[in-house]
Amino acid sequence: METKDQKKHRKKHSGPKAEKKKKRHLQDLQLGDEEDARKRNPKAFAVQSAVRMARSFHRTQDLKTKKHHIPVVDRTPLEPPPIVVVVMGPPKVGKSTLIQCLIRNFTRQKLTEIRGPVTIVSGKKRRLTIIECGCDINMMIDLAKVADLVLMLIDASFGFEMETFEFLNICQVHGFPKIMGILTHLDSFKYNKQLKKTKKRLKHRFWTEVYPGAKLFYLSGMVHGEYQNQEIHNLGRFITVMKFRPLTWQTSHPYILADRMEDLTNPEDIRTNIKCDRKVSLYGYLRGAHLKNKSQIHMPGVGDFAVSDVSFLPDPCALPEQQKKRCLNEKEKLVYAPLSGVGGVLYDKDAVYVDLGGSHGFQELDEVRPTHELVQSLISTHSTIDAKMASSRVTLFSDSKPLGSEDIDNQGQWMPKEEKQVDLKTGRVRRKAIFGDEEDESGDSNDEDDEEMSEGDKLVDSCSDDETEDEADTEMMDMMYAREKGVKRQRLQEMEEDLEADLPAFADSDDDLERSSEDEGEAEEADESSEEEDSPAEERDISESKVVGDYSKAGLLQTNGLSKSLNLESSLTVNKATLTISDSGHCTAEEAFASEDETEESSSLNTEEEDSENEEVIRKKFPKSSQVADDQRLGSENLIGETSDVEDLLKEEEDYKEENDYSTETSGALKWKEDLSRKAAEAFLRQQQATPNLRKLIYGTVTEDNEEADGDTREELGGLFRVSQPSRECKHKLDSLDCSRFHVEAPHDWDLEEVMNSIRDCFVTGKWEEDKDAAKILAEDEELYGDFEDLETGDVHKGKSDPDTQIEDVEEVNKEEIDPSTEESARKKHLDKKRKLKEMFDAEYDEGESTYFDDLKGEMHKQAQLNRAEFEDQDDEARVQYEGFRPGMYVRIEIENVPCEFVLNFDPHYPIILGGLGNSEGNVGYVQMRLKKHRWYKKILKSRDPIIFSVGWRRFQTIPLYYIEDHNGRQRLLKYTPQHMHCGATFWGPITPQGTGFLAVQSVSDIMPDFRIAATGVILDLDKSIKIVKKLKLTGFPYKIFKNTSFIKGMFNSALEVAKFEGAVIRTVSGIRGQIKKALRAPEGAFRASFEDKLLMSDIVFMRTWYPVSIPAFYNPVTSLLKPVGEKDTWSGMRTTGQLRLAHGVKLKPNKDSLYKPIVRQKKHFNSLHIPKALQKALPFKNKPKTQAKAGKIPKDRRRPAVIREPHERKILALLDALSTVHSQKMKKAKEQRHLHNKEHYKVKQKEEEEKLKRQKDLRKKLFRIQGQKERKNQKSSLKGSEELSK
Amino acid sequence: MATQAHSLSYAGCNFLRQRLVLSTLSGRPVKIRRIRARDDNPGLRDFEASFIRLLDKVTNGSRIEINQTGTTLYYQPGLLYGGSVEHDCNVLRSIGYYLESLLCLAPFMKHPLRIVLRGVTNDQVDPSVDVLKATALPLLKQFGIDGESFELKVVRRGMPPGGGGEVFFSCPVRKVLKPIQLTDPGKIKRIRGTAYSVRVSPQMANRIVDSARSILNKFIPDIYIYTDHMKGINSGKSPGFGLSLVAETTNGTFLSAELASNPQGQGAAVLPEDLGRNCAKLLLEEIYRGGCVDSTNQSLALLLMTLGQQDVSKVLLGPLSPYTIEFLRHLKSFFQIMFKIETKPCGEELKGGDKVLMTCVGVGFSNLSKTLK
Repeated sequence: METKDQKKHRKKHSGPKAEKKKKRHLQDLQLGDEEDARKRNPKAFAVQSAVRMARSFHRTQDLKTKKHHIPVVDRTPLEPPPIVVVVMGPPKVGKSTLIQCLIRNFTRQKLTEIRGPVTIVSGKKRRLTIIECGCDINMMIDLAKVADLVLMLIDASFGFEMETFEFLNICQVHGFPKIMGILTHLDSFKYNKQLKKTKKRLKHRFWTEVYPGAKLFYLSGMVHGEYQNQEIHNLGRFITVMKFRPLTWQTSHPYILADRMEDLTNPEDIRTNIKCDRKVSLYGYLRGAHLKNKSQIHMPGVGDFAVSDVSFLPDPCALPEQQKKRCLNEKEKLVYAPLSGVGGVLYDKDAVYVDLGGSHGFQELDEVRPTHELVQSLISTHSTIDAKMASSRVTLFSDSKPLGSEDIDNQGQWMPKEEKQVDLKTGRVRRKAIFGDEEDESGDSNDEDDEEMSEGDKLVDSCSDDETEDEADTEMMDMMYAREKGVKRQRLQEMEEDLEADLPAFADSDDDLERSSEDEGEAEEADESSEEEDSPAEERDISESKVVGDYSKAGLLQTNGLSKSLNLESSLTVNKATLTISDSGHCTAEEAFASEDETEESSSLNTEEEDSENEEVIRKKFPKSSQVADDQRLGSENLIGETSDVEDLLKEEEDYKEENDYSTETSGALKWKEDLSRKAAEAFLRQQQATPNLRKLIYGTVTEDNEEADGDTREELGGLFRVSQPSRECKHKLDSLDCSRFHVEAPHDWDLEEVMNSIRDCFVTGKWEEDKDAAKILAEDEELYGDFEDLETGDVHKGKSDPDTQIEDVEEVNKEEIDPSTEESARKKHLDKKRKLKEMFDAEYDEGESTYFDDLKGEMHKQAQLNRAEFEDQDDEARVQYEGFRPGMYVRIEIENVPCEFVLNFDPHYPIILGGLGNSEGNVGYVQMRLKKHRWYKKILKSRDPIIFSVGWRRFQTIPLYYIEDHNGRQRLLKYTPQHMHCGATFWGPITPQGTGFLAVQSVSDIMPDFRIAATGVILDLDKSIKIVKKLKLTGFPYKIFKNTSFIKGMFNSALEVAKFEGAVIRTVSGIRGQIKKALRAPEGAFRASFEDKLLMSDIVFMRTWYPVSIPAFYNPVTSLLKPVGEKDTWSGMRTTGQLRLAHGVKLKPNKDSLYKPIVRQKKHFNSLHIPKALQKALPFKNKPKTQAKAGKIPKDRRRPAVIREPHERKILALLDALSTVHSQKMKKAKEQRHLHNKEHYKVKQKEEEEKLKRQKDLRKKLFRIQGQKERKNQKSSLKGSEELSK
Repeated sequence: MATQAHSLSYAGCNFLRQRLVLSTLSGRPVKIRRIRARDDNPGLRDFEASFIRLLDKVTNGSRIEINQTGTTLYYQPGLLYGGSVEHDCNVLRSIGYYLESLLCLAPFMKHPLRIVLRGVTNDQVDPSVDVLKATALPLLKQFGIDGESFELKVVRRGMPPGGGGEVFFSCPVRKVLKPIQLTDPGKIKRIRGTAYSVRVSPQMANRIVDSARSILNKFIPDIYIYTDHMKGINSGKSPGFGLSLVAETTNGTFLSAELASNPQGQGAAVLPEDLGRNCAKLLLEEIYRGGCVDSTNQSLALLLMTLGQQDVSKVLLGPLSPYTIEFLRHLKSFFQIMFKIETKPCGEELKGGDKVLMTCVGVGFSNLSKTLK
């Protein structure tokens, strides 16, 4: 549709592609430079500046080092658990649609409703567990902790939403899994340009949040309510090939994302009390680290529990067995989501597993019906669950007879192993039933025969399982062969028993568990070695003769362990010999087998020679046996350098090996029961011996009761005395001396020569091993480097050829008559030589490159290999005991005392996570962390306000105190977190390893409109006590002041308090420093203090002290999963005082002093300036104050006395007054007249002046006019003259 | 609620140290009942009380409850604290008794431990300080516990019954331990030893050396036995003498044997010649047992293997001592760790008795006490 306005193709002008094209173009024109510019013009590339060179080198090295991660030991299991893909996004963004599309893409199956995790097989080596994450913050936090990959859906038409950023932050805190953004709703854009702009904008924002270049996927639009197939396919491809870096928390803790939950509580208990604590079993893939039985776990949203039982189950969504093909076929595309009702239905660990015929049988409802029957029978009856299980029957197939629990139970505790045989895809369980029958028929007395039979059966099983496409007749052949095998085994087993009779401790001396696993191999080996004995004419090789020799030796020595090992070794060598032959060529292999089989029954011979396929089976068998043996004697010297050639052959028969393992397991179980008494009898003997059955002694039944520790006393006493004797013994042991020294019970006599000789080789003076003997190594080197050609002289030095190489030569000449032993030795020699050369090359090659980093990496790699190899050969049952349940296993975990709400309010949409806890991570203490308020969180956080933390697996509410560390290491309490700074925080809560990240939210219920993550940080320290202090100022007042000493009161209440603070620094507000000296007798609490200056009575004295604060021991796990369905996001714990006040309408009574009042300003009144007299005197006259001060009262001495006049004097005075008044009046009048006169005169004078001026002006005017006329005249005449001239 | 991990319960005073040490490391409380309940003198002895006090000194926040008679002990561990500590050990047991447990705990403290222990340095019951110095310290180094401050010094020697010795032990702190693969003990290249004598004639030590050499010279010429005669205040309160021998192999394995004279006033006097000879023979016995770890340190090695990362560790041991066997059981109950035990028969080579190859996967222990800066 957009074809018309498509742009024209633009050529690239830069970049590698353009350069390449340019080069090609030049070459076409014969102008191109064939050689490098560097070569052509070396001067241009010469070193210009050594400094710059050094700098650039430095920079490149820096960049290189920056790329390094600290190497860690790779502990990922061989068969990793499914990858947890969390699909996250705000509501209505298309999460469920995407999950549905992904599942459909991988499995061709459409799930309508998805609840809980869905596990699918996405490739040959990868499985995915897809789970949806809504925007409940509880769910977001939990899923971020278990996610391997997060698909972050973003509604492009809307843009980013807060949830996205919150989730990103949660991820960041809890280890940052891989994050892939997916833009949806892209079809809502009408204009292409707008779309492009939006894409770019979102992409860049996404990059800043995750990392530059993070993958952002675009789902352009919907077709029929689904995303486009091609886009989903591409997304699927991306997910399947993605690589992950291990996250610290996840790799150090076991965890399970449960995909199934069953309530195991006794129904009677529930009936009597519906609120009783429940016992539940949870199922899921184990991830992370190894899980130990009886360990502590935490269920986020529920609480802490101790695992009461763990068992591993067959994988419900197994990876395809063989991986030769490029892609999966339909049957291998499994999906498993029990919470959504998809996948097989499994009931209990020792009960029934019903398979609905894989993903394809899902539609057929008929097959599901029997399951319901079983469930019904379980529920309706009123008996215990065991009885119910026993009585309940299930029909696996419509035409087969019902299967009861007794059919299964009689196989003992190994049943789950057996159940693995039930092929999940094909549902072939037929052979299983046969096995049960046979088991029933054969009595307990001949256990070993029984095992053989079962083993044979399983062999058939496995074969058919492997080759699902094979025809039936092939299977028949297999079966026949297996039968024969069984018979043969039986015979051989008898032989072995004979052997055991000769050597009583043969079987016993080894520990039981190993024994059980070894059984199989031993049987075979014994078989072979005996075969060899039977037909000495067939194979005359050195090892054969060695066998004979060994046997004789064994007879002589009677040291059982020794003879056994020799025995094994010899048989092994034989095995190897045959193996090499079979490997070297097809015909030779046939030959070898044929020759060997002549000793056996003729029937087996026939089948072999007739059927090529059968032959293949046999060939499978042989490497297998050698492999078993190989595994058993891992350390035995004869096996060094075993066969890289064989390995590829071995790989093909892995499934075969598995079968063998299972069978050996059952045999082990039975054997253990069988000769228990005999073992007990020999316990003492064993202890005396140098190789006791240690495993049993330490961990076995012996551990529980000490009776068996001294078997002989028990044997002798018998009857009633048996009980009392051990108890006395036991008590003696309980309180005996606690000492680690290992005293020698029966010392050797070190004077005897032979005793001395027994440790001769422990010293450097003794004999060395073959591979370490200096002389031998020298000789080898000679052999290796003996041949060389001196290039200068041209001489050829030839090393001494030893007999082996001669043989090699002979072999080359005459290939027909190959002696197996010589060939083998030659081969070994050759391999050795190759290996040595390779080592040399490696050493030489790596010498220059080897850095500390490389060494470290190499070390880690070696450790990883060792970890993988160590328990590889053991069957799972034994393995889980040693290393715990390994990640990748599908396990069932039983937990007791779970709150009933967990079961009653179970919502499959919410993830159930079982997080394993390390040692003492279940304990509580004070946790210190570095915390920073999130920059997007609107408020600051207050000390002692309850807040919800997410640390480790947990979410819990606690009361933290914030502090900041002063320079002297003092941790000072803060009332609030700083705005933009890190601060410390301490709370009382679960102990979590240092370095673990955490986040804090104020509330997990959805009432907060803003960004919800309040703070993030990291745990720094764990302790059982805290050192946070707050400032406390004690104040006092002086009540007596001497020179520099004052008596201060009011600071303390008693002399004792003062005594505690003697010598403490005090200070006044004005800054005078001082020191507390000594308490005074009265008043109480007063003291003497000395200061650096004299105090005033008005001074306030204070002392700064630090008061330790206590943290409330409040730890409240968020139990969101216990809330009813639909209210799971409404958990609210303790409220802050602010929230409480708001809720109850309690107003805080404010301090009156802190209230604001209207400001009343007083009129400012200034005093007059007062200049001291001395200063006034000194001032210059002009600056002296001029205004005289008001005359004060005249002092008395200066005052004149009042004059009292006589009457006539008074008359005179009156007259004089009158006269003077008259006179003054006269004078006044005269003055006025004069004034008037003067005025008039002035006027006249002014007039005259004016006239005079006017006259002058006129005159001047006249004069200037005349002057001007004159000048003009002159000018005119001069102009005339000039004009005339010009004319 | 994160409840305290469910406690473990034991009876009897035997293996008290193991239980308390493992409890401290695993964080699980332990309850020990019936401590010498039927004894004439019931309850905890002084040396055990002293041990508990020492544990209290190096930890923070541990809770110890002992009932009236001292027959029941409840111990709820705190976090290991460390720092500079001094402790007067009871003279009933030697410092080795206390030091053995400290060696297990010291790498996992909050602050590096620097402790001065006073008491008996050498006695006939416990491994002496000399032996621990010669064997346990190199063993710890194999696990990556190393450094300048890692030392054990005998400042004063004290013999029973008086004591008066002093030992200084300091150990750095580690967050995680390295896994070990000790499967080849190598061959013994030299034998070293210390013949000590306090408050007796200095000639005693020389007499011991001569007699010990007479036996060992038949095997290897490289023998050097130091004589250590302490005087004055450094010689403690009681007289005595003894010898400790250490055989070092080419692969860094140390095997030891020791013998001390009878304490003053107990038992018959021992001739130094006899003591030297017997001690040499004990060393030969130890060599006969063999393995990559000395028989006294078996439990230490196994513990540190358990506390490693989640990696496979292997060690070849001689026959397991009863103490080690009980320790393995305790490891199982405290850490759910089971060892894979393979017996290696001696064969016809002249390398002593049968060996045991112990393999385990570490629990992924990390030092929870150490502060992150």
